[in-house]
Amino acid sequence: PPAERNPTGDQEPPANLSSGQGIPPAPARGTEEGKPPLLLSRRSSILSTLPAPLASRRSSLGAAPGGRRPSIGCPWMLHSHVSFSGLPLFQPVLKTRLENTYRMRPDKGCKFNAGRVQQVLEGALASALGTTVYSPQGSALLAQSLVELLQSQAKEVVPPRYKLVCNVLLGQQGQQSLLVASRALWDPESDSFASATFSNASLFAVATVHGVYFE
Amino acid sequence: MEPIIISSMPDSNSDLQGFLIIENTSTNWYGQTAIESAIGGNAYQHSKVNQWTTSVVEQTLSQLTKLGKPFKYIVTCVIMQKNGAGLHTASSCFWDNSSDGTCTVRWENKTMYCIVSAFGLAI
Repeated sequence: PPAERNPTGDQEPPANLSSGQGIPPAPARGTEEGKPPLLLSRRSSILSTLPAPLASRRSSLGAAPGGRRPSIGCPWMLHSHVSFSGLPLFQPVLKTRLENTYRMRPDKGCKFNAGRVQQVLEGALASALGTTVYSPQGSALLAQSLVELLQSQAKEVVPPRYKLVCNVLLGQQGQQSLLVASRALWDPESDSFASATFSNASLFAVATVHGVYFE
Repeated sequence: MEPIIISSMPDSNSDLQGFLIIENTSTNWYGQTAIESAIGGNAYQHSKVNQWTTSVVEQTLSQLTKLGKPFKYIVTCVIMQKNGAGLHTASSCFWDNSSDGTCTVRWENKTMYCIVSAFGLAI
């Protein structure tokens, strides 16, 4: 009797099914899995990685013995795990953990380039604020959009694995005095900052970008 | 270089306490106390402003460092004289949302405004 070719490629050797005879194999190590629930809905997993002796594979009783290949149209064949009810079991969304790269420092030549970032900031401020007039309501939104613009422009010139903190101060030009100071606890070899200022007749802006290497 | 994936499993609680936890409790307090002690009852003086900002920033930073958490900190201080002019400040950060955070403290008296921002970035 011809041995049944296993369509799903599992590990156990093909059972010796007698396709030509009318005797249903019992208990047969069925080679066909995922058969439609004709009478009994007992189904085994299709692409199971369990070793053969542990898997309880039975062809459904009452199914015709011998090779019944599952048709392409069966939806449950597309899923790797099938529950007893016949509905596919969806695996929960897995969070991947990345392997430690053990990189404590940025590569040579890949450091935060403060001068370049400063040029980018100056250019961006000048082009965005050229002749803008300060207004109490509008300037709040302007500050937010400006800082996002600066961050996106800074990201382009900053090497990878750098976290950025961008700060923008937008104020009305008056006769007041202002001082901006910042201090950081970081690795001075890899981390740095850049700042730029801009002023016109009605407003002034101070932009700062701190770049911190992410180990 | 392709990052190598070592395991895929349901996410468990991360080991690093987010900076957000710190900010809600102590950073606010550190900022406040630093400002109060440095410029508490003073009027704006141009000659002293440099010294004040330095002291505010240093005190806040040293208090944060004493927490001993695995974070890099950036502390910014702005002192502006009160003159009727308006001021807006905005900040945008490119970081890991789950572990990094920020805290801002605003303070004023009759002659000046002071804004202190602290950013904590996990390493």
